[in-house]
Amino acid sequence: MKLRIAGTTYTGAVVDLRTRNVDGRTIAASISGQRCLPVVSCPEPPSVYAYAGHIHSSMGLRTRTALAAAARSRGYETPQDDAIAECRAQLAELECSPPELPAPVDPVPESTIDGLQEAVATHRGRLTARQAVGADDGAAQADLRDAATELSERETRRAAARETRELRRERARAYRDSLEEQRRLADELANLRRSARATLVDRCAEPFARAIEAVPGPDPDSPLDADPVTAALGVLRFAKTPAPVVLGADRFRSPTAASDCLDAPVIRC
Amino acid sequence: MLLVVTYSRPARRDLRNVCRAHEDCVVRQFGRAALFSGTEFGAFQALRLHEKHGLDVQIERVEPFEPTDAPTHVREAAKRYESREEPATPYERFASGRDLPDPDQLRGVDL
Repeated sequence: MKLRIAGTTYTGAVVDLRTRNVDGRTIAASISGQRCLPVVSCPEPPSVYAYAGHIHSSMGLRTRTALAAAARSRGYETPQDDAIAECRAQLAELECSPPELPAPVDPVPESTIDGLQEAVATHRGRLTARQAVGADDGAAQADLRDAATELSERETRRAAARETRELRRERARAYRDSLEEQRRLADELANLRRSARATLVDRCAEPFARAIEAVPGPDPDSPLDADPVTAALGVLRFAKTPAPVVLGADRFRSPTAASDCLDAPVIRC
Repeated sequence: MLLVVTYSRPARRDLRNVCRAHEDCVVRQFGRAALFSGTEFGAFQALRLHEKHGLDVQIERVEPFEPTDAPTHVREAAKRYESREEPATPYERFASGRDLPDPDQLRGVDL
């Protein structure tokens, strides 16, 4: 590893920064690629570093999750892996952005149409009556024409309003179907990951127990009940650790002893 | 009545809040759905959720339903099927050979 802090460059598997008053959090963030400074050049840390990459006395640890990540760093696989990949791919493929809907249109009330139909019939009746007696039918014809035109306009608008309504409902339904599918897949993925985690934890129970015995710290009743720092050290000892571990707790005689015990590059802060 | 169904966590949370704050317009609450009263106030609360969460909130109008709203042959079929002797018989097999509508026939007819 190569580390540059305020003009000083450190190299080697063990770096002791206790005299430099550096915040371990910023170093850990640099190692994981969340920060650019200070510049740390080292191999990419596997996912277990997100849980145990920075060890300090006030840390918490989801031991089982961290242990599963450690097992992954060592290349452990589970029977659920194919299904997990499949599930992820399906989720990524799923199109779930809200669709464009046509603007809603106020429906044309049936009563309006009924009224207009009645008006057309009345005007038609009047026109027929006037024509039967040979009276002037100009006004009656105009009335009929106007009423018929309005009726046809309203009917067209009613049809358009119905169509828009159907279209809006169809698109909304398709969108909600995909949301349901997304929910189902997310549930399935969570279940698969839970059982994969359980499988991994189960399979590395023994090496983890040995690791807990080998790292300094109070002896827990059961390895999974170890305090966060001890558990994290056990996880790291078991995990493959190509990237530097940031150590902010006094558990080892020296940073070199820590590096030997964890079989990892160490930055002591 | 109005059926309000939510499709996202924030929408679901707000539905719960509305149900808690306006019990008077809530006929029934289910997990991520609720039945609002068919009043303008019920519509107002449903539309508030819709304004805020868009398509993550679905609103449907719900009509009351009584058994007599279904045609006699449908009611009769349900009644006879539920009093069958052999519980494992699927309806399709049960209906064939009896004077009962087959399921595809029922599927094709709007209520």
